[in-house]
Formats: sequence, structure tokens, C-alpha cells
Amino acid sequence: MQKKMAYSFPDEVLEHVFSFIQSDKDRNAVSLVCKSWYEIERWCRRKVFIGNCYAVSPRMVIRRFPEVRSIELKGKPHFADFNLVPDGWGGYVLPWIAEMAGAYPWLEEIRLKRMVVTDESLELIAKSFKNFKVLVLFSCEGFSTDGLAAIAASCKNLRELDLRESEVDDLSGHWLAHFPETYTSLVSLNISCLGSDEVSFSALERLVGRCPNLRSLRLNRAVTLDKIASILRRAPLLVDFGTGNYAAELQPDVFSNLAGAFSSCKELKSLSGFWDVVPAYLPALYSICPRLTSLNLSYATIQSPDLIKLVSYCPRLQRLLVLDYIEDSGLEELASSCKDLQELRVFPSDPFGAEPNVSLTEQGLVAVSLGCPKLQSVLYFCRRMSNAALVTIAQNCPNLTRFRLCIIEPKTPDYLTLEPLDVGFGAIVEHCKDLRRLSLSGLLTDHVFEYIGTYGKKLEMLSVAFAGDSDLGLHHVLSGCESLRKLEIRDCPFGDKALLANAAKLETMRSLWMSSCAVSFGACKLLGQKMPKLNVEVIDETEPPDSRPESCPVDKLYIYRSVAGPRFDMPPFVWTMDEAVKILH
Amino acid sequence: MELQLGLALPGSDTWSRPLLKLGLYEDINVNSKKRGFDHGYLEDEFSAASFKNYEKGLVGWPPVKTWRRKKLRCQVHNHMTAAENGCCVGRASNSTYVKVKMEGVVIARKIDISIHQSFETLTTTLMTMFDIFDENRRSFKLTYQDKEGDWLIAEDVPWRTFVRSLKCLKLIRSRGYQ
Repeated sequence: MQKKMAYSFPDEVLEHVFSFIQSDKDRNAVSLVCKSWYEIERWCRRKVFIGNCYAVSPRMVIRRFPEVRSIELKGKPHFADFNLVPDGWGGYVLPWIAEMAGAYPWLEEIRLKRMVVTDESLELIAKSFKNFKVLVLFSCEGFSTDGLAAIAASCKNLRELDLRESEVDDLSGHWLAHFPETYTSLVSLNISCLGSDEVSFSALERLVGRCPNLRSLRLNRAVTLDKIASILRRAPLLVDFGTGNYAAELQPDVFSNLAGAFSSCKELKSLSGFWDVVPAYLPALYSICPRLTSLNLSYATIQSPDLIKLVSYCPRLQRLLVLDYIEDSGLEELASSCKDLQELRVFPSDPFGAEPNVSLTEQGLVAVSLGCPKLQSVLYFCRRMSNAALVTIAQNCPNLTRFRLCIIEPKTPDYLTLEPLDVGFGAIVEHCKDLRRLSLSGLLTDHVFEYIGTYGKKLEMLSVAFAGDSDLGLHHVLSGCESLRKLEIRDCPFGDKALLANAAKLETMRSLWMSSCAVSFGACKLLGQKMPKLNVEVIDETEPPDSRPESCPVDKLYIYRSVAGPRFDMPPFVWTMDEAVKILH
Repeated sequence: MELQLGLALPGSDTWSRPLLKLGLYEDINVNSKKRGFDHGYLEDEFSAASFKNYEKGLVGWPPVKTWRRKKLRCQVHNHMTAAENGCCVGRASNSTYVKVKMEGVVIARKIDISIHQSFETLTTTLMTMFDIFDENRRSFKLTYQDKEGDWLIAEDVPWRTFVRSLKCLKLIRSRGYQ
């Protein structure tokens, strides 16, 4: 019977069928059906996503999947974005590139997030992969424009170069000129993170002019407003555009030139950039506003009236990123004009000011929740909140998948009742049954975690700060949230008990970060001993954790599952709790 | 304290409130430079790197990406140079925020003076901020306190002079001052 099954579908047929299966989850499921499916699948998997570069080693990936064309890797924990992970922690991509250079000569795509990329790595990429097409460096660091020059010079088939939010050492703006005159395949270029005061503009202009497939272009601040028109006229098929500097003295000819250039881009749907905005130039955008689906004004320090006007011309807007200058009144306008809105992010213009500098409160978010039924993703910074508002938002937007609220002052209670915000966030998890990501803030007791554990069944990522009363809080989350993959906690009174009682849970998650909590060194050691498939790493920049009593709490703790065992590239301030390696460190 | 290792997956245990309430966690006084645990971090040279954005005593809070913070700070600085750096109210020396009070209103507001280039835009913004309708505009007068501590009428001086010597603003009801 078994033989019959095996011969009824030759490998090639199965392979062809599998080629329609793109999702990692589905491919993983396919590979578990039987040995022969595992074999066939692994030979035809072209795309690999590795959410934690230390969960597996390059060799292991190469051994299992020999024909990969596209790889995505993530390095540092999310809290590295907020300076909680010290420099030198890790996340180096070079070992991966070095191994793949030999094993994957036909590699086409590399996507990295929060990794340390050196010029050496970039040069190796340029040299090793003849058909290299896509390089995305999201929040990466460690490289300079010299490395970029190597990529530009050698990658003849490059389609996409995206450096979003990376820290680049700007040695010279002339790296752009390293793209040969014969190079014409650019589709997407994001250099918005570059500071360089002299981006070789003429090289950029020529590059844009000779790449007919260019659809996405995000410039950096060095490109002045008066230059935008000339760029746009060379790329009239752009779908996504990021301006550079959007400020200049108002001159009628510059204005009309700019307005004309924008209106000639009939496919333009997404705008970003807008550094140093002079409001008088905003009307140049009005002709394309009706087509815009995505608008990032999160660097534009323009006031509410100008923002309101702009937003009111964009009825098709699906995604808006903006500073809190928009104020409640602007959000009310947004709610009435933009019925297709799916994602809203409101950033603080003065995050460290003690008093509010703008009139943005929970009312703005309530208004948007009422007016925009398709709202799915929220990131909102504000200074006050109430349970009533959160309950209203939850009831208005049951389709929320991502809800991140940051009340700027830690432990701020409901401003109307002075109670904790447990009930409000509880309503969010209860009503939003598809919620995958949640960030908490404000005054919160263990009760909020009880709600989260009870209702947050689809929750994959949870961020907690200055919340909870006891280990019970952490226990609710670890024992209740079935889909939890990433948990990051700072400044909460969670200690050993919940962690140790739920040790097995940690193997079902990608990672756990805890800083300024109450987990003792002894508990970390115990966890490291008992759970060989977990890497338990203690970060302490002041002194080795074993120079203090075992009951002392550790400063920072990062636990992640791994089949590669403990890593060997740890800096002096990171200690692994793995029994076998401890002695060597 | 008894440490119990639970290797089974969660779901079957009965949990009782821990007898020991962890008193290690103190209320964070956000205006002090103290961290949650007394480890004397600030004295240690290693700490320097992790405290580069150590404002208000809390690292990494509010959770605004370092990258974004840098870009915004850059912009404020540029505006500053443009506005000829007249104002220094605010906790940081490079702040361009000025306190604005309105007569009869208890809570003061703050406004970023560097993004304005004329009394026109400033007044419009203030009217919106304090919910004053167009018709009532003329019944309010914009006054300011200069570096010497004197209160003056804003529109009596040129914009540049105003910005250079401005310390804080106040909207008063016009009592027939012309």
C-alpha cells in the first residue's frame, strides 16, 4: 500500500505542487507529513525566514535547505530600538554571509533587521552572488557608504536597495556614482536614512533617469525641495515617493514646477519624508492627494490646521503616520474624511516634556475608532487615557490586530476615575479577537494580565512596562496566551516563581526579554540547567552576576529557544546560563 | 523562598497568590535619576554607553526609536538656527517651546515658536489652541514677557525682536488698549 502511494506521485509532480505553497507555516506542515515529503520539500524551498539569528546556525539551514534563493534574518531584540540593548551585544551577519557565499551562489535576496552589517559583509555579498537582486537593511548598523559602493558597482541585477532606519557611516555621497552607466534594473531605492550632505545629486538624477522600472524612491534630507521636480519628471511611474527636505523660501516658479511634477505622477499612491516642512509648499501635493493610500508625515513639524487641510484631501488614505501636532481636532477630521483608514500611528513631538505641548488626548483616538470602521493597526502616544475611552475603542474596532498605546508618563491612571486601566485594556483583548500585537502602558495591576491570559488567545507579541503587582501577572500571560511568540517586559515586579513554573512555555516562544524586573541569578542558572533547548542570557554591564549572591536580581535577561546551542560571540557583559559553556566564558 | 520548577506545559496547575510580595519594586520617580534597583549604575564607566539617552532618569522611555528621536532633534536644531534662537524656556537648553497662558484659563500650554515666521501664523495657531473663534479674535491681545521681565504688547515690535527677547506669552482680553 505504501509503495503504491509513493509511485503514484513522482517527485517532480509533488515539487510542482509544493511550488504553489509559499507560506512558511504551510511548508513546515508539508515537511512533517512523511519522510519523502520532507525530502522533496527541503530541496525546493526557496525562501527562509529566521526570526532569531541565534535560534539556528547557518550550517544547519544550509544543510536542510540547499537551494535557497531568499533569506530573511532578525538579530537584536526589539527593545534594542530603545537603547536597552548595549552596543556590541551581537547580531552579526558576517558568519551567515560567509557560509552562504559558498553554499548559495544563486542567492537573490537578503533581508536583515536589527543586525550588525559590516562593509566586509557587503563586499562579500557583492562578490559572491552573481544574480543578487534584493538587499533590505532595516534598522541595521555597522557599515558605511564604502560597502554600498561595492554593492552598487558589482550587483548588475540589483532590483531593490532599502536602507530604512539604518545607521550608516556617511563617508561620501559618491557611492551612488558606482552604479555603472549600463545598470538599469533598479525598482526600489530607499536612502532616507543617509545624512550625507553631499549626496551626489547628478549621479542620482542619472540613475533615476536610466531605470525605467523604478517604482519606489525615498530620498534623504540632503535632497532639497527644488530638486524634487527634476527627479519626479525622470520617474513618472513612481508609486511610492519619499521627499528629502521639504523646505524652501516660497517662490512661485519653484512651486508651480513642483506641483506640475507631482501631478504628472499618475501612479503615486504613497508619500513620506517631509523633513523641515514649509507649509506653503503643501498645496503642491493637492493634485495627488485623492489617490494617496499611504502618508508618512511623522517628521513633519507642521501644525494642526495645515495637517487637517492635507488630510481632508485624501479620502482614500489607508495608512497615516503623523506627529501629535495633528491634535484631537485633526483626528476628528481624519475620522470624517478617511473612511478607508486601516493604520494610524501618532508620534510624540515632545516626548520628554513634563507638560503637554499639544491638545492631543484619548478623544482623538476615540474619534478615529468611531469614524474608521476598517481600523486594524494603532500606535498612539498620548498623555492621558480612560477606561471608558478604551472600552469605546474596543467596541468600535473589533477588527484590531495591532494595538500599541503609550501613555507617556509611566503608571498614569484613568484620568477620570484615577483607577488602573485594567478594565480598558481588558476590553481591548476581549473584543478584538484577532489581536496579534499589544503594548500596554499606564497604571496596571495583575488584573490586566488576567484579562490578557483569558482573552488573548491569538496574541503573538506583548510589550509590558511599569505594570503588574506580582508574579501572578506574568503567570497569567505565560499560562493563558496560547499563541504567544514574543514577550518583552521592563520595570515590572515579576520574579522567579512565574518564570520557573512556566519554563516549558518558553520553548514554544521565540523569545522573552525581561529588564529591571525581579528575576534572580539563581533562577536564571536553574532555567539554563534544566532547559537545554533554551539559551538563557544575562546582560549586566556593571559586574559579573556571580559576584553577587544568587538571590540578587539580574539587570537584563534574554531567553530564546535555539537548536544551535549557546552562542560564542557574546561580549563580556553577556553571560550564558548554559552549564557546559559557563566555565569557558 | 521555595522555587518550584514546573516542566509540564501550563494549564493544569492551581495557582495561589504568592505569600511573599516582592517589595523590590519601588515607585519610579520620573524626575529623579534613580533606577529601580540600587546598583549604583551611574558611577560605573560601563554604564555610559547604555545611558546615552538618559533623559528624565529612564532609559528607553517613552519608547520612541533612537533613530526617530535623533531625526526630530536635528530638525528642532535647524529651526532654532532659523528662528535666531531667542527662546530658552523648557527643560533642555535647545528647546524652542514657549509657555502660553490665556487670561482666565488655569492650564498653561506650550508652543513651538521656531516653526512660526510671523505674528499672523502665531496668532492663528494660538486662536485654534484656545478655541477662540475668528469673530472674537480682536477681543484678545497677545502680550509677552521679555528677558528683562517686562510685559509688552507683541505686535508693537518687529517679529525678529520679539522672537529674540521672548520668554513667555500671554493672551489677555482687550480692554480698549489700541
